[in-house]
Amino acid sequence: MYNQMVKKRVPEWLNSSLWSSPPSAPPIDDDRTQRYTSKPSTATTTSSDSVVEPPLPVPPPSSVRAEPPPEPQPADSISDHEDKAAASPSPEEFSRQSQLLAELSKKTINVRELRKIASQGIPDGAGVRSTVWKLLLGYLPPDRALWPLELAKKRSQYKHFKDELLMNPSEITRKLEDNGTSCDSEESKSKGLLSRSHIAHGEHPLSLGKSSIWNQFFQDTEIIEQIDRDVKRTHPDMHFFSGDSQFAKSNQDALKNILVVFAKLNPGIRYVQGMNELLAPLYYVFKNDPDEEYAAAAEADTFFCFVELLSGFRDHFCQQLDNSVVGIRSTITRLSQLLKEHDEELWRHLEITTKVNPQFYAFRWITLLLTQEFNFADSLHIWDTLLSDSEGPQETLLRVCCAMLILVRRRLLAGDFTSNLKLLQHYPPTNISHLLYVANKLRVQLSG
Amino acid sequence: MVLVLALGDLHIPHRAPDLPAKFKSMLVPGKIQHIICTGNLCIKEVHDYLKTLCPDLHIARGEYDEETRYPETKTLTIGQFKLGLCHGHQVIPWGDLDSLAMLQRQLDVDILVTGHTHQFTAYKHEGGVVINPGSASGAYSSITYDVNPSFVLMDIDGLRVVVYVYELIDGEVKVDKIDFKKTTAATHSAH
Repeated sequence: MYNQMVKKRVPEWLNSSLWSSPPSAPPIDDDRTQRYTSKPSTATTTSSDSVVEPPLPVPPPSSVRAEPPPEPQPADSISDHEDKAAASPSPEEFSRQSQLLAELSKKTINVRELRKIASQGIPDGAGVRSTVWKLLLGYLPPDRALWPLELAKKRSQYKHFKDELLMNPSEITRKLEDNGTSCDSEESKSKGLLSRSHIAHGEHPLSLGKSSIWNQFFQDTEIIEQIDRDVKRTHPDMHFFSGDSQFAKSNQDALKNILVVFAKLNPGIRYVQGMNELLAPLYYVFKNDPDEEYAAAAEADTFFCFVELLSGFRDHFCQQLDNSVVGIRSTITRLSQLLKEHDEELWRHLEITTKVNPQFYAFRWITLLLTQEFNFADSLHIWDTLLSDSEGPQETLLRVCCAMLILVRRRLLAGDFTSNLKLLQHYPPTNISHLLYVANKLRVQLSG
Repeated sequence: MVLVLALGDLHIPHRAPDLPAKFKSMLVPGKIQHIICTGNLCIKEVHDYLKTLCPDLHIARGEYDEETRYPETKTLTIGQFKLGLCHGHQVIPWGDLDSLAMLQRQLDVDILVTGHTHQFTAYKHEGGVVINPGSASGAYSSITYDVNPSFVLMDIDGLRVVVYVYELIDGEVKVDKIDFKKTTAATHSAH
């Protein structure tokens, strides 16, 4: 699951016709590859002046580099990075950015409008991703005036959770005692027998009772250790998450706290490996908010947004639901269906001829929301679309996965079980805008 | 939050076959960070058993221990507390507070743990504490046959230690609690 971020370059001849087809008239032939040619003018954009093509075939350095620039100067470094990339923000991006800023500055934000703009991608340089995601996840209400109140309420609630749930039993018993009677005052005698007090309810460290806070503590210790291990392994190539710096350690602590609080508040699902991967992009984006106050409160904000994000995908993490209608197997089957509808030849070749069971690759794609398939910056772009699409994250995710399959169809059709599986488990670097464009087209196809 | 188990005077196999079952069911690995043992285990098998509960094991030599290389006294620091360990047969009169206090001053510790009398006691003395965890197996002592199995678990948390006393009385485990706060003025340092 924690594979390296090394992607092999795709040889030119394999993908050339797919990438570089110029904008043309609506397809009339039955050659499937041409159907998915990029045609910006048919894409649903709200800006009327965009005639520009999607970014060029040679992947800009940004999609090959493993991370957006590290250090704590987030907004600046991201826009620097953007400049170092193939081109400075294209006119289309600029217009999107200004639209976003315009929408965000209104007193009451039209979330539907925001979704439409955001689904094409939020420009990195604008520094608004943090706010937009919070709006999309419903953490911030559309009415700007309510923001300070809402935020204060939520942040104090999170602090309350932490205080309550992250105490060890020693501290809890001490607190209970301090509220009750005070203990033996030592000043009274300097010598003599110490008084004993009987313990009720089995509240001693070796208690095996189910309701004992000590017993619960030791049981939770296992989960906390698991969380700790996974947090340390999250994105080891990024300075933000990994390494010896104080910054990385404090970020890891924040991730750990959020996951522990979540596990304790949700005894039904606790912690499952992989939740850390869903948490990481959220925290990264919120921590890199250009507004200092927001960045400082990133942990609390991330917690609530994480809960919101996970609410749509919880059932994927519950083992007992694996075979049920809402479980992961059924979702994978839906992906399979989707592929069959749009590209039966490929579907047949994959599932029947080469017997590549979708569970082998789609499990990770779906449960981890594609965070492991692309580099970090690209997965942020994909999440822009996932979070903003009006069809909902799960439907959109399935379309993106289907698009991923279709984009490499040539190689898949030419390959056998081994090579196909290898390809899908190490998905090649891709032009993300193009991928999202194709995913979008899949929707249009369905209703058309 | 550091959990320290204090026990001793088991006299296995000579005077008792094993720890009481109810004690054994509570003593599971993974919860305790340190074990201090007053001695008179007496055999290696008991040593190995204690090692499985917790790898950090400290033992002082009792007069019947078969392992001759355990030290007569031992001191260690856990958190803010200095603990001292001795079997106690060397301190006469056996179990006498003043004599034990001399040993405590000698070792310069906050908490002195000794055994030999097979009776649980906990005394406060001049800013320090003297604890006797009794006999964990209920073995008879040099003085009496009337011994209840007992041991002690200390929860050291900053400047405060909570001593949980586990006794087996009439077949039931009874747990008591003793609170002790260390006063920082107890040391004779320059003001």
